[in-house]
Amino acid sequence: MSDKENIHISSYKEHVSTWLALILLTFMTVFVSVFGAELRTLSVATAMIIATVKATAVGYYFMHLKYDPKIYKIMMATVLGLFVFFMLMITLDYITR
Amino acid sequence: MDHTFHLPNSGHNFDAKASKMGMWLFLYTELLLFGGLFLVYMVYRELNSEAFLLASFKLNVWMGTFNTVLLITSSMTIAMSITALQKGNKILSIRLMWITILAALGFLIVKYFEWGAKFDHGLFPGMDHYQQLPTGERLYFYLYFFMTGLHGLHVIVGAVFIMFVIRGVKKGSVTPERYSLSENAGLYWHLVDLIWIYLFPLFYLIH
Amino acid sequence: MTVDTLPYTTFFKAKKGIMSWLFTLDHKRVALLYLYSIMTFFLVGASLGILMRLELFHPGKDIVEPHTYNQIFTLHGVIMIFLFIIPSIPAVFGNFFLPLLLGTDDVAFPKLNLFSFWLYVIGALFALGTLVLGDGPADTGWTFYAPYSVRTGTNVTMSVVAAFVLGFSSILTGLNFIVTIHRLRTPGMGFNQMPLFAWSLYATSWIQLLATPVIGITLLMIVAERVFGVGLFDPSIGGDPVLYQHMFWIYSHPAVYIMALPAMGIVSEIIPTFAQRTIFGYKAIAYSSMAIAFIGYFVWGHHMFTSGMSGPAAYIFSILTFLVAIPTSIKVFNWLATLYKGSINIETPLLFALAFIFNFLIGGLTGLVNGALAADIHLHDTYFVVGHFHYVMFGGTGFAFFGALHYWFPKIWGKMYNKKVANTAFATLLIGFNILYFPMIILGIMGMPRRYYDYLPEFTFWNQISTVGSWITVSSLIVLIVNLFVAANKGKKAPDNPWDGITLEWQTKSPPPLENFDKMPKIPEGGPYNYPNAKSSS
Ligand code: HEM
Ligand SMILES: [Cu+2]
Repeated sequence: MSDKENIHISSYKEHVSTWLALILLTFMTVFVSVFGAELRTLSVATAMIIATVKATAVGYYFMHLKYDPKIYKIMMATVLGLFVFFMLMITLDYITR
Repeated sequence: MDHTFHLPNSGHNFDAKASKMGMWLFLYTELLLFGGLFLVYMVYRELNSEAFLLASFKLNVWMGTFNTVLLITSSMTIAMSITALQKGNKILSIRLMWITILAALGFLIVKYFEWGAKFDHGLFPGMDHYQQLPTGERLYFYLYFFMTGLHGLHVIVGAVFIMFVIRGVKKGSVTPERYSLSENAGLYWHLVDLIWIYLFPLFYLIH
Repeated sequence: MTVDTLPYTTFFKAKKGIMSWLFTLDHKRVALLYLYSIMTFFLVGASLGILMRLELFHPGKDIVEPHTYNQIFTLHGVIMIFLFIIPSIPAVFGNFFLPLLLGTDDVAFPKLNLFSFWLYVIGALFALGTLVLGDGPADTGWTFYAPYSVRTGTNVTMSVVAAFVLGFSSILTGLNFIVTIHRLRTPGMGFNQMPLFAWSLYATSWIQLLATPVIGITLLMIVAERVFGVGLFDPSIGGDPVLYQHMFWIYSHPAVYIMALPAMGIVSEIIPTFAQRTIFGYKAIAYSSMAIAFIGYFVWGHHMFTSGMSGPAAYIFSILTFLVAIPTSIKVFNWLATLYKGSINIETPLLFALAFIFNFLIGGLTGLVNGALAADIHLHDTYFVVGHFHYVMFGGTGFAFFGALHYWFPKIWGKMYNKKVANTAFATLLIGFNILYFPMIILGIMGMPRRYYDYLPEFTFWNQISTVGSWITVSSLIVLIVNLFVAANKGKKAPDNPWDGITLEWQTKSPPPLENFDKMPKIPEGGPYNYPNAKSSS
């Protein structure tokens, strides 16, 4: 592997902005779910989408994926792809029974 | 034999990249460990969506929200502690790690009260009230205890891991040049946060 | 180990005392610890197999109670799967030879490696502990299907915990190998200059890493269900036992590639060495390992065709199952093409490799029969399946394991075994093996169900043939093992490179010194199997 010594130090500022975004998103989901009870099915989807956005932010900035070599992104994508496949096939079985 | 010869690519060398990669691989296994539970959750929620909805009203959204904020904040402080260490500020780094551990403690205390309330209502699998619930709600609470319990275990492990890092920084085995351990503890802690990010809406916010 | 005249210190002698073995950080010693433990469990498992075959020699109850028989096949399955075949090639030959093949002196995390071994020991103690603790070994079959596994009085909890711990041992081995391959290749060796065994271990490790956690959590659910009296697969609270099967096979189908891929890697090492010829289709073999690992995740449902899975899901799983056959046959064709016009040197390891191809062909083709929806309805849970998976696991991986043992024996011990005895043991093993298992395939087609201590009288003939085969098989195994045992102690000294191999392990001494290499190993120019005198391959 190419071992370029590129030690990247994340800045405090970046951490704080990530934190802010995460908190905002958290309040957003809570808000949608507590006060938007009529939009129920919609709120499942939004909750999951928002969770995924939050997870991506954690992975990208806090866990440093943004600055890591590409291999880490590839591996992560493989793992997630696999998991999504598991979900799809099991769902397929249950909804077509 | 020529005792002076050493392979440049020895497995006994310190290799920060290797230990980071090892940590990531371990995190994948953790993700799939929880992944298995999420699969079970998905199926049962699909089959019992009404019951899950009803059961979820028995959880306290505000406690959950508070805990979410705690974990997100602790995720930030641990990330900052690595930055501090890399920049050579050991004292700040240690302080930030202690804050993280405090947050972990706070999380567990809130969890304790949440679980305690459920126990008082007999909602733990096998208890009286639990046995009288409709089947879907029983599944819900079973999953709730199983998943948050396993997650809580990870919170404890993560906090202990961070304590080891603090000790390392104090002893001088974790330094601004050699910070793998702190980075790995950070990754682990973020994972704990990541899982909670999904657990929270799936259990508290079904409304 | 009696030769004291070697001009250097071998890894056997570098440190002394039993502690230096039990707590060693040397990958070679860890590998040998695994080898001795795994062989022990293999013999225990084989004895249980013999016992079952004795019971089945004659219809009716002969030597064991029906309930005991259920426990025996479960313990046999658990031992053979979790204690023998899953760790076998990776933990023994992967540990010993991966660093040598890559030109390094250890795996990336030597301490973790030792830890994996100890997890293995703890898991083994749990598995065997069921013999004396609680109400005896589980009687569920090695698959621990809910809801029976939750209801039975036997000590399922402990067996399941054993599988869980062993799973973690396997995960950590995989993790270690992946990092080793990424980080410790000798300078100048890219992924595409790696020996094919390393490639196959890489693919295997990814399965160990990503599939095992799923069964880990599933087994925990079973434990929780037994402890709390209610659980997620319990129909009385709305749980679905079929979901258990999904979770179980999400791991256990990929797990069959944990068994098969390293074996294919071994064959890919042995064949070019004994054909003295560049492997045909290096990249095809390497990438097909990755493809098998990948597609292997998509087919688990073929174990559930008769379990009440939905029709559309069954079709898709069946089609996907057929896809896995493609990369597998790519390998077989490449091996045969490598042999074609090679200067073939018939030695014991090559014989095992060829037997692997033969047995795996039968195992693979019967597998496709099982993967076909209509056929499987008839054959599911019959002896056809038992025959099929023994062909794959024993005839395939088992034979590759013994092939590897004969291939690398002179490297590990610096001694050569008696080749005549080895070849004889091989021949009788192959014959005995086929007499043991081919009748099972026939019995399955005739309709004999698996997991019963008894059968209808019309099945008697083939069962007796099979039992006779089990005697031949086990006698040959004993000869094979004794021969190697004698050779390790009193064998003739073997040269450093007895088979004229050109992968890096042959460049160091036999047995290797503690640090593996005392000078920089040289990677062969033009690829890992570029034999200097070989006829050009096209
Ligand atoms: C001496 C060699 C062996 C003999 C005589 C033998 C015999 C048998 C027999 C008769 C059964 C079927 C039991 C039944 O369904 O009633 C069985 C099951 C099984 N065998 Fe073997 N076997 C041998 C070696 C192996 C090896 C090497 C492996 C794997 C590497 C293996 C793995 C299994 C498994 C997984 C089962 C299924 C257990 C279950 O139904 O839960 N066996 N064996
Ligand atoms: Cu399968």
